[in-house]
Amino acid sequence: MAEEQVVISVADDQVDDMASVVAALREAGLRVAEVLDSVGVVTGTVDGDALGFLSTVPGVVEVERSREFQLPVPDEPTH
Amino acid sequence: MTAAADGTTGRYLVLFDDDWSNGTQELNRVAGIRTESSEDGGATPHLWEGDGLMMHELGVALVTADDDQVTALASAADEPGPIALIEPERFVRAIEPTDTVTEAAAAAVDETLFTWGLQAVGAPNSTATGKGVKLAVLDTGFDLTHPDFAGRTVVHESFVQGEEVQDGHGHGTHCIGTSSGPRDVEKGPGYGVAYEVDIYAGKVLSNEGSGADGGILAGINWAINSGCAVISMSLGAGTQPGQAYSRTFEKVATRALEKGTLIIAAAGNESDRRTGRIAPVGHPANCPSIMSVAAIDVARKIAYFSCGTVDTIGAIDLSGPGFDVYSSWPMPLRNKRISGTSMATPHAAGIAALIAQATGARGYELWARLSQKGLRLPLPSTDVGAGLVQAP
Repeated sequence: MAEEQVVISVADDQVDDMASVVAALREAGLRVAEVLDSVGVVTGTVDGDALGFLSTVPGVVEVERSREFQLPVPDEPTH
Repeated sequence: MTAAADGTTGRYLVLFDDDWSNGTQELNRVAGIRTESSEDGGATPHLWEGDGLMMHELGVALVTADDDQVTALASAADEPGPIALIEPERFVRAIEPTDTVTEAAAAAVDETLFTWGLQAVGAPNSTATGKGVKLAVLDTGFDLTHPDFAGRTVVHESFVQGEEVQDGHGHGTHCIGTSSGPRDVEKGPGYGVAYEVDIYAGKVLSNEGSGADGGILAGINWAINSGCAVISMSLGAGTQPGQAYSRTFEKVATRALEKGTLIIAAAGNESDRRTGRIAPVGHPANCPSIMSVAAIDVARKIAYFSCGTVDTIGAIDLSGPGFDVYSSWPMPLRNKRISGTSMATPHAAGIAALIAQATGARGYELWARLSQKGLRLPLPSTDVGAGLVQAP
Protein backbone atom coordinates (compact mmCIF):
# COMPACT_ATOMS: atom_id res chain seq x y z
CA MET A 1 0.00 0.00 0.00
CA ALA A 2 1.32 3.44 -0.90
CA GLU A 3 2.84 5.67 1.74
CA GLU A 4 1.16 9.05 2.25
CA GLN A 5 2.63 12.29 3.56
CA VAL A 6 0.19 13.89 5.99
CA VAL A 7 -0.27 17.01 8.09
CA ILE A 8 -2.44 16.65 11.19
CA SER A 9 -4.03 19.43 13.21
CA VAL A 10 -4.78 18.84 16.92
CA ALA A 11 -7.62 20.34 18.95
CA ASP A 12 -7.18 23.74 20.58
CA ASP A 13 -7.25 22.31 24.07
CA GLN A 14 -4.47 19.84 23.23
CA VAL A 15 -2.02 22.32 21.71
CA ASP A 16 -0.25 23.11 24.98
CA ASP A 17 0.41 19.43 25.73
CA MET A 18 0.59 17.41 22.58
CA ALA A 19 2.49 14.43 23.96
CA SER A 20 -0.55 12.20 24.48
CA VAL A 21 -2.01 12.93 21.05
CA VAL A 22 1.33 12.27 19.42
CA ALA A 23 1.63 8.93 21.24
CA ALA A 24 -1.88 7.95 20.14
CA LEU A 25 -1.07 8.86 16.53
CA ARG A 26 2.00 6.65 16.64
CA GLU A 27 -0.18 3.83 17.95
CA ALA A 28 -2.48 4.38 14.98
CA GLY A 29 0.40 3.97 12.52
CA LEU A 30 1.79 7.47 11.99
CA ARG A 31 5.55 7.71 11.49
CA VAL A 32 6.10 11.13 13.05
CA ALA A 33 8.35 13.58 11.18
CA GLU A 34 7.77 16.78 13.14
CA VAL A 35 5.78 17.95 16.16
CA LEU A 36 5.12 21.67 15.60
CA ASP A 37 4.18 22.74 19.11
CA SER A 38 3.47 26.40 18.43
CA VAL A 39 0.83 25.68 15.83
CA GLY A 40 -0.56 22.36 17.09
CA VAL A 41 0.41 20.35 14.01
CA VAL A 42 2.02 16.92 13.60
CA THR A 43 3.54 15.92 10.28
CA GLY A 44 4.62 12.50 9.11
CA THR A 45 3.97 9.53 6.88
CA VAL A 46 1.43 6.73 7.11
CA ASP A 47 0.53 3.68 5.08
CA GLY A 48 -2.49 4.23 2.86
CA ASP A 49 -4.72 1.76 4.67
CA ALA A 50 -4.14 3.46 8.04
CA LEU A 51 -4.77 6.98 6.71
CA GLY A 52 -8.51 6.88 7.18
CA PHE A 53 -8.25 5.96 10.88
CA LEU A 54 -6.00 8.83 11.92
CA SER A 55 -8.90 11.24 12.23
CA THR A 56 -10.50 8.94 14.83
CA VAL A 57 -7.61 9.46 17.23
CA PRO A 58 -8.81 11.55 20.21
CA GLY A 59 -7.59 15.14 20.04
CA VAL A 60 -7.22 15.18 16.24
CA VAL A 61 -9.35 17.70 14.35
CA GLU A 62 -7.95 17.55 10.84
CA VAL A 63 -5.93 15.12 8.71
CA GLU A 64 -4.83 16.29 5.26
CA ARG A 65 -2.52 15.00 2.57
CA SER A 66 0.55 17.20 2.24
CA ARG A 67 0.40 19.30 -0.95
CA GLU A 68 3.39 19.83 -3.21
CA PHE A 69 4.66 23.26 -4.29
CA GLN A 70 6.76 24.13 -7.33
CA LEU A 71 8.11 27.51 -8.34
CA PRO A 72 8.56 28.34 -12.02
CA VAL A 73 12.18 28.38 -13.18
CA PRO A 74 13.80 31.84 -12.78
CA ASP A 75 13.53 32.92 -16.40
CA GLU A 76 9.79 32.22 -16.73
CA PRO A 77 7.57 35.30 -17.01
CA THR A 78 5.95 35.07 -13.59
CA HIS A 79 7.05 34.08 -10.09
CA MET B 1 -13.99 79.89 -42.16
CA THR B 2 -13.15 80.44 -38.49
CA ALA B 3 -15.18 79.13 -35.61
CA ALA B 4 -17.19 81.42 -33.40
CA ALA B 5 -16.58 81.00 -29.65
CA ASP B 6 -19.62 78.74 -29.52
CA GLY B 7 -18.18 76.41 -32.21
CA THR B 8 -20.58 77.49 -35.00
CA THR B 9 -19.56 78.17 -38.62
CA GLY B 10 -21.69 81.28 -39.30
CA ARG B 11 -24.00 79.45 -41.70
CA TYR B 12 -27.44 78.04 -40.98
CA LEU B 13 -29.41 74.84 -41.42
CA VAL B 14 -33.03 75.31 -42.47
CA LEU B 15 -35.30 72.34 -41.82
CA PHE B 16 -38.44 71.91 -43.90
CA ASP B 17 -41.73 70.22 -43.04
CA ASP B 18 -42.56 66.85 -44.57
CA ASP B 19 -43.84 68.42 -47.78
CA TRP B 20 -40.96 70.54 -48.99
CA SER B 21 -41.68 70.46 -52.72
CA ASN B 22 -41.66 74.24 -52.95
CA GLY B 23 -38.88 74.74 -50.36
CA THR B 24 -36.50 76.46 -52.76
CA GLN B 25 -39.15 79.00 -53.75
CA GLU B 26 -39.99 79.61 -50.12
CA LEU B 27 -36.37 80.44 -49.20
CA ASN B 28 -36.32 82.96 -52.04
CA ARG B 29 -39.72 84.47 -51.10
CA VAL B 30 -39.01 84.80 -47.37
CA ALA B 31 -35.35 85.81 -47.28
CA GLY B 32 -34.27 86.39 -50.86
CA ILE B 33 -31.93 83.40 -50.69
CA ARG B 34 -31.13 81.68 -53.96
CA THR B 35 -29.92 78.12 -53.51
CA GLU B 36 -28.50 75.42 -55.69
CA SER B 37 -30.48 72.21 -55.48
CA SER B 38 -29.16 68.72 -55.19
CA GLU B 39 -31.99 67.86 -57.61
CA ASP B 40 -30.34 69.70 -60.50
CA GLY B 41 -28.46 67.51 -62.94
CA GLY B 42 -24.82 67.80 -63.79
CA ALA B 43 -21.88 68.14 -61.38
CA THR B 44 -22.59 67.87 -57.67
CA PRO B 45 -23.16 71.40 -56.34
CA HIS B 46 -20.51 72.62 -53.93
CA LEU B 47 -21.67 73.48 -50.45
CA TRP B 48 -19.76 76.73 -50.42
CA GLU B 49 -20.93 78.24 -53.72
CA GLY B 50 -23.85 80.66 -54.04
CA ASP B 51 -26.12 81.47 -51.14
CA GLY B 52 -26.53 77.86 -50.21
CA LEU B 53 -27.55 74.33 -51.08
CA MET B 54 -31.00 72.69 -50.90
CA MET B 55 -30.49 69.04 -49.98
CA HIS B 56 -33.61 67.89 -51.70
CA GLU B 57 -33.55 64.30 -50.44
CA LEU B 58 -33.30 65.42 -46.82
CA GLY B 59 -35.60 68.41 -46.74
CA VAL B 60 -32.74 70.49 -45.29
CA ALA B 61 -31.05 73.59 -46.77
CA LEU B 62 -27.60 74.88 -45.84
CA VAL B 63 -27.62 78.66 -46.31
CA THR B 64 -25.53 81.76 -45.87
CA ALA B 65 -27.71 84.45 -44.25
CA ASP B 66 -27.26 87.87 -42.69
CA ASP B 67 -29.04 88.88 -39.49
CA ASP B 68 -32.14 90.24 -41.31
CA GLN B 69 -32.49 87.09 -43.34
CA VAL B 70 -32.12 84.94 -40.17
CA THR B 71 -34.88 86.98 -38.49
CA ALA B 72 -37.16 86.53 -41.51
CA LEU B 73 -36.54 82.80 -41.61
CA ALA B 74 -37.12 82.43 -37.85
CA SER B 75 -40.48 84.22 -38.20
CA ALA B 76 -41.43 81.98 -41.11
CA ALA B 77 -40.60 78.92 -38.95
CA ASP B 78 -43.12 80.12 -36.34
CA GLU B 79 -45.87 80.58 -38.97
CA PRO B 80 -47.63 77.91 -41.00
CA GLY B 81 -45.59 76.99 -44.06
CA PRO B 82 -42.90 74.61 -45.26
CA ILE B 83 -40.06 76.20 -43.21
CA ALA B 84 -39.99 74.40 -39.82
CA LEU B 85 -36.75 75.39 -38.13
CA ILE B 86 -33.55 77.38 -38.49
CA GLU B 87 -30.42 76.66 -36.49
CA PRO B 88 -26.71 77.53 -36.65
CA GLU B 89 -24.35 75.08 -38.39
CA ARG B 90 -21.82 73.54 -35.94
CA PHE B 91 -18.22 72.45 -36.40
CA VAL B 92 -17.59 68.77 -35.58
CA ARG B 93 -14.35 66.78 -35.18
CA ALA B 94 -13.22 63.18 -35.22
CA ILE B 95 -13.13 61.51 -31.78
CA GLU B 96 -9.45 60.69 -31.18
CA PRO B 97 -8.45 57.69 -29.02
CA THR B 98 -7.02 58.93 -25.68
CA ASP B 99 -3.54 57.98 -24.53
CA THR B 100 -3.77 54.89 -22.35
CA VAL B 101 -3.14 55.44 -18.68
CA THR B 102 -0.45 52.82 -18.93
CA GLU B 103 1.60 54.80 -21.43
CA ALA B 104 1.31 58.01 -19.44
CA ALA B 105 2.12 56.33 -16.14
CA ALA B 106 5.02 54.28 -17.47
CA ALA B 107 6.56 57.40 -18.96
CA ALA B 108 6.39 59.06 -15.52
CA VAL B 109 8.28 56.33 -13.58
CA ASP B 110 11.74 57.37 -12.40
CA GLU B 111 13.73 54.60 -10.72
CA THR B 112 16.91 56.61 -10.13
CA LEU B 113 16.57 56.60 -6.33
CA PHE B 114 13.90 54.03 -5.52
CA THR B 115 12.08 51.26 -7.37
CA TRP B 116 8.62 52.10 -8.66
CA GLY B 117 7.24 49.62 -6.14
CA LEU B 118 8.73 51.48 -3.17
CA GLN B 119 7.27 54.70 -4.51
CA ALA B 120 3.85 53.12 -5.09
CA VAL B 121 3.60 51.98 -1.45
CA GLY B 122 4.80 55.33 -0.11
CA ALA B 123 7.90 53.85 1.54
CA PRO B 124 10.43 56.64 0.85
CA ASN B 125 8.28 59.21 2.69
CA SER B 126 7.65 57.02 5.74
CA THR B 127 9.65 57.45 8.93
CA ALA B 128 9.19 53.77 9.83
CA THR B 129 12.11 51.39 9.16
CA GLY B 130 11.04 48.05 10.65
CA LYS B 131 13.66 48.29 13.40
CA GLY B 132 12.98 45.91 16.28
CA VAL B 133 10.49 43.84 14.24
CA LYS B 134 11.23 40.28 13.11
CA LEU B 135 10.10 39.43 9.55
CA ALA B 136 10.29 35.84 8.30
CA VAL B 137 10.41 35.01 4.60
CA LEU B 138 9.69 31.33 3.88
CA ASP B 139 11.05 30.56 0.44
CA THR B 140 14.16 29.16 -1.32
CA GLY B 141 16.50 30.57 1.35
CA PHE B 142 18.87 33.51 1.02
CA ASP B 143 22.26 34.42 -0.45
CA LEU B 144 24.09 34.92 2.85
CA THR B 145 27.07 36.41 0.98
CA HIS B 146 25.07 39.21 -0.71
CA PRO B 147 26.97 42.54 -0.36
CA ASP B 148 23.78 44.66 -0.18
CA PHE B 149 23.03 43.04 3.21
CA ALA B 150 26.38 43.56 4.91
CA GLY B 151 25.78 44.41 8.57
CA ARG B 152 22.17 43.16 8.63
CA THR B 153 20.79 40.70 11.20
CA VAL B 154 19.96 37.49 9.31
CA VAL B 155 18.73 34.49 11.28
CA HIS B 156 18.35 31.41 9.07
CA GLU B 157 17.17 27.82 9.12
CA SER B 158 16.65 25.19 6.43
CA PHE B 159 13.59 22.93 6.43
CA VAL B 160 14.58 21.25 3.19
CA GLN B 161 16.14 17.88 3.80
CA GLY B 162 19.70 17.72 2.52
CA GLU B 163 19.98 21.42 1.61
CA GLU B 164 21.53 24.43 3.35
CA VAL B 165 19.75 27.78 3.56
CA GLN B 166 22.12 29.28 0.96
CA ASP B 167 19.82 30.17 -1.96
CA GLY B 168 20.56 28.12 -5.07
CA HIS B 169 17.43 29.29 -6.89
CA GLY B 170 17.12 33.09 -6.44
CA HIS B 171 13.44 33.54 -5.60
CA GLY B 172 14.01 33.74 -1.83
CA THR B 173 16.80 36.28 -2.16
CA HIS B 174 14.59 38.45 -4.39
CA CYS B 175 11.66 38.35 -1.93
CA ILE B 176 13.88 39.10 1.07
CA GLY B 177 15.30 42.00 -0.91
CA THR B 178 11.87 43.50 -1.51
CA SER B 179 10.56 43.06 2.02
CA SER B 180 13.76 43.78 3.94
CA GLY B 181 16.49 45.04 1.62
CA PRO B 182 18.33 48.36 1.52
CA ARG B 183 17.10 51.83 0.48
CA ASP B 184 20.59 53.12 -0.18
CA VAL B 185 22.63 51.04 -2.60
CA GLU B 186 25.96 51.75 -4.25
CA LYS B 187 24.64 51.03 -7.72
CA GLY B 188 20.99 51.16 -8.71
CA PRO B 189 17.80 52.13 -6.87
CA GLY B 190 16.92 51.35 -3.26
CA TYR B 191 14.55 48.38 -3.26
CA GLY B 192 13.72 47.32 0.33
CA VAL B 193 10.57 48.27 2.24
CA ALA B 194 11.49 47.42 5.88
CA TYR B 195 15.19 48.14 5.57
CA GLU B 196 16.06 47.81 9.28
CA VAL B 197 13.96 44.74 10.08
CA ASP B 198 15.50 41.58 11.60
CA ILE B 199 15.55 39.10 8.72
CA TYR B 200 14.45 35.52 9.37
CA ALA B 201 15.23 33.45 6.28
CA GLY B 202 13.51 30.06 6.35
CA LYS B 203 14.23 27.69 3.51
CA VAL B 204 11.06 25.72 2.82
CA LEU B 205 11.53 25.39 -0.95
CA SER B 206 14.48 23.55 -2.47
CA ASN B 207 17.05 25.02 -4.82
CA GLU B 208 14.81 23.68 -7.59
CA GLY B 209 11.91 25.67 -6.13
CA SER B 210 9.92 22.72 -4.86
CA GLY B 211 8.44 22.05 -1.44
CA ALA B 212 5.51 20.56 0.44
CA ASP B 213 3.05 21.45 3.20
CA GLY B 214 5.12 19.76 5.90
CA GLY B 215 8.20 21.90 5.30
CA ILE B 216 6.14 25.08 5.09
CA LEU B 217 4.35 24.33 8.34
CA ALA B 218 7.70 23.65 10.00
CA GLY B 219 8.90 27.04 8.77
CA ILE B 220 5.78 28.74 10.12
CA ASN B 221 6.27 27.04 13.47
CA TRP B 222 9.90 28.22 13.63
CA ALA B 223 8.94 31.79 12.76
CA ILE B 224 6.27 31.89 15.48
CA ASN B 225 8.66 30.38 18.03
CA SER B 226 11.21 33.01 17.06
CA GLY B 227 8.73 35.82 17.74
CA CYS B 228 8.26 36.99 14.16
CA ALA B 229 5.48 39.53 13.72
CA VAL B 230 5.14 38.82 10.00
CA ILE B 231 5.62 35.73 7.83
CA SER B 232 5.90 36.31 4.08
CA MET B 233 5.15 33.32 1.83
CA SER B 234 5.54 33.85 -1.92
CA LEU B 235 4.47 30.32 -2.69
CA GLY B 236 1.35 28.47 -3.55
CA ALA B 237 -0.36 25.61 -5.28
CA GLY B 238 -3.02 26.19 -7.91
CA THR B 239 -6.66 25.54 -7.04
CA GLN B 240 -9.91 24.83 -8.90
CA PRO B 241 -12.98 27.04 -8.48
CA GLY B 242 -15.04 25.73 -5.59
CA GLN B 243 -12.14 23.83 -4.06
CA ALA B 244 -12.15 23.95 -0.24
CA TYR B 245 -9.26 25.66 1.55
CA SER B 246 -6.98 23.67 3.85
CA ARG B 247 -8.51 23.40 7.31
CA THR B 248 -5.07 22.69 8.73
CA PHE B 249 -3.49 25.82 7.30
CA GLU B 250 -6.53 27.82 8.39
CA LYS B 251 -6.18 26.48 11.94
CA VAL B 252 -2.46 27.22 11.91
CA ALA B 253 -3.05 30.74 10.65
CA THR B 254 -5.66 31.42 13.35
CA ARG B 255 -3.29 30.19 16.04
CA ALA B 256 -0.54 32.32 14.57
CA LEU B 257 -2.74 35.43 14.68
CA GLU B 258 -3.63 34.71 18.30
CA LYS B 259 0.08 34.53 19.07
CA GLY B 260 0.79 37.81 17.30
CA THR B 261 2.05 36.53 13.93
CA LEU B 262 0.45 37.63 10.66
CA ILE B 263 0.89 35.27 7.70
CA ILE B 264 0.87 36.96 4.27
CA ALA B 265 0.84 34.84 1.10
CA ALA B 266 0.84 35.31 -2.67
CA ALA B 267 -2.56 35.04 -4.36
CA GLY B 268 -1.10 33.10 -7.30
CA ASN B 269 -0.24 33.70 -10.96
CA GLU B 270 -2.55 31.23 -12.70
CA SER B 271 -4.75 33.85 -14.38
CA ASP B 272 -4.40 35.16 -17.90
CA ARG B 273 -6.63 38.19 -17.99
CA ARG B 274 -5.45 38.96 -21.52
CA THR B 275 -7.71 36.08 -22.61
CA GLY B 276 -10.34 36.81 -19.96
CA ARG B 277 -9.36 33.96 -17.65
CA ILE B 278 -9.30 34.70 -13.91
CA ALA B 279 -8.03 31.83 -11.73
CA PRO B 280 -9.09 31.42 -8.08
CA VAL B 281 -6.76 32.28 -5.21
CA GLY B 282 -4.25 29.47 -4.64
CA HIS B 283 -3.42 27.40 -1.54
CA PRO B 284 -2.65 28.50 1.16
CA ALA B 285 -3.48 32.16 0.44
CA ASN B 286 -7.12 31.11 0.04
CA CYS B 287 -7.42 30.50 3.79
CA PRO B 288 -9.50 33.26 5.41
CA SER B 289 -6.92 33.82 8.16
CA ILE B 290 -4.02 34.17 5.72
CA MET B 291 -3.72 37.57 4.07
CA SER B 292 -3.66 37.10 0.27
CA VAL B 293 -1.92 39.63 -1.96
CA ALA B 294 -2.66 40.39 -5.63
CA ALA B 295 -0.29 42.08 -8.07
CA ILE B 296 -0.69 45.47 -9.72
CA ASP B 297 1.52 47.04 -12.39
CA VAL B 298 3.18 50.45 -12.71
CA ALA B 299 -0.08 51.97 -14.00
CA ARG B 300 -1.91 50.59 -10.94
CA LYS B 301 -3.82 48.16 -13.09
CA ILE B 302 -4.25 44.53 -12.11
CA ALA B 303 -1.42 42.38 -13.50
CA TYR B 304 -2.56 39.99 -16.21
CA PHE B 305 -1.53 36.90 -14.25
CA SER B 306 -2.99 37.91 -10.87
CA CYS B 307 -5.45 35.48 -9.33
CA GLY B 308 -8.78 36.87 -8.16
CA THR B 309 -11.75 36.21 -5.90
CA VAL B 310 -13.64 33.77 -8.10
CA ASP B 311 -15.79 31.88 -5.59
CA THR B 312 -16.86 32.31 -1.97
CA ILE B 313 -13.85 30.32 -0.72
CA GLY B 314 -10.63 32.20 -1.52
CA ALA B 315 -10.58 35.99 -1.42
CA ILE B 316 -8.06 38.69 -2.30
CA ASP B 317 -7.27 40.84 0.75
CA LEU B 318 -4.81 43.47 -0.53
CA SER B 319 -2.60 44.26 -3.51
CA GLY B 320 1.02 45.24 -4.01
CA PRO B 321 3.48 46.10 -6.79
CA GLY B 322 4.12 42.87 -8.66
CA PHE B 323 5.26 43.75 -12.17
CA ASP B 324 8.84 44.41 -13.27
CA VAL B 325 10.12 44.47 -9.68
CA TYR B 326 13.84 45.14 -9.19
CA SER B 327 15.43 43.45 -6.16
CA SER B 328 18.41 41.38 -5.01
CA TRP B 329 19.50 38.11 -6.63
CA PRO B 330 22.24 35.61 -5.67
CA MET B 331 25.77 36.66 -6.58
CA PRO B 332 27.34 37.22 -9.02
CA LEU B 333 24.19 38.58 -10.77
CA ARG B 334 23.47 40.67 -7.65
CA ASN B 335 20.13 42.17 -8.86
CA LYS B 336 17.27 41.12 -11.15
CA ARG B 337 13.81 42.21 -12.30
CA ILE B 338 10.98 39.70 -12.13
CA SER B 339 7.20 39.76 -11.95
CA GLY B 340 4.58 37.89 -9.97
CA THR B 341 2.26 37.94 -6.98
CA SER B 342 5.46 36.62 -5.35
CA MET B 343 6.82 40.16 -5.65
CA ALA B 344 3.65 41.88 -4.45
CA THR B 345 3.63 39.76 -1.26
CA PRO B 346 6.97 40.95 0.22
CA HIS B 347 5.91 44.56 -0.44
CA ALA B 348 2.89 43.88 1.79
CA ALA B 349 5.01 42.02 4.35
CA GLY B 350 7.52 44.87 4.55
CA ILE B 351 4.69 47.39 4.98
CA ALA B 352 3.25 45.17 7.74
CA ALA B 353 6.63 45.30 9.50
CA LEU B 354 6.70 49.11 9.22
CA ILE B 355 3.20 49.38 10.68
CA ALA B 356 4.11 46.88 13.42
CA GLN B 357 7.04 49.08 14.43
CA ALA B 358 5.15 52.36 14.17
CA THR B 359 2.03 51.27 16.08
CA GLY B 360 3.01 48.17 18.07
CA ALA B 361 0.15 46.34 16.35
CA ARG B 362 0.30 42.56 15.99
CA GLY B 363 -1.94 39.78 14.70
CA TYR B 364 -5.54 40.78 14.01
CA GLU B 365 -4.88 44.45 14.80
CA LEU B 366 -2.02 44.51 12.30
CA TRP B 367 -4.34 43.04 9.64
CA ALA B 368 -6.90 45.74 10.41
CA ARG B 369 -4.33 48.53 10.14
CA LEU B 370 -3.00 47.21 6.82
CA SER B 371 -6.52 47.17 5.37
CA GLN B 372 -7.38 50.53 6.86
CA LYS B 373 -4.35 52.18 5.28
CA GLY B 374 -4.79 50.51 1.91
CA LEU B 375 -5.00 52.95 -1.00
CA ARG B 376 -8.43 52.30 -2.53
CA LEU B 377 -8.15 51.75 -6.27
CA PRO B 378 -10.88 52.13 -8.94
CA LEU B 379 -10.70 48.36 -9.47
CA PRO B 380 -12.96 45.53 -8.28
CA SER B 381 -12.35 44.43 -4.70
CA THR B 382 -12.41 40.89 -6.07
CA ASP B 383 -9.13 41.80 -7.74
CA VAL B 384 -7.42 44.12 -5.23
CA GLY B 385 -9.20 43.64 -1.89
CA ALA B 386 -8.88 46.75 0.28
CA GLY B 387 -6.46 48.29 -2.23
CA LEU B 388 -2.75 49.01 -2.53
CA VAL B 389 -0.70 48.57 0.68
CA GLN B 390 0.65 51.86 2.03
CA ALA B 391 3.44 52.71 4.47
CA PRO B 392 2.55 54.43 7.74
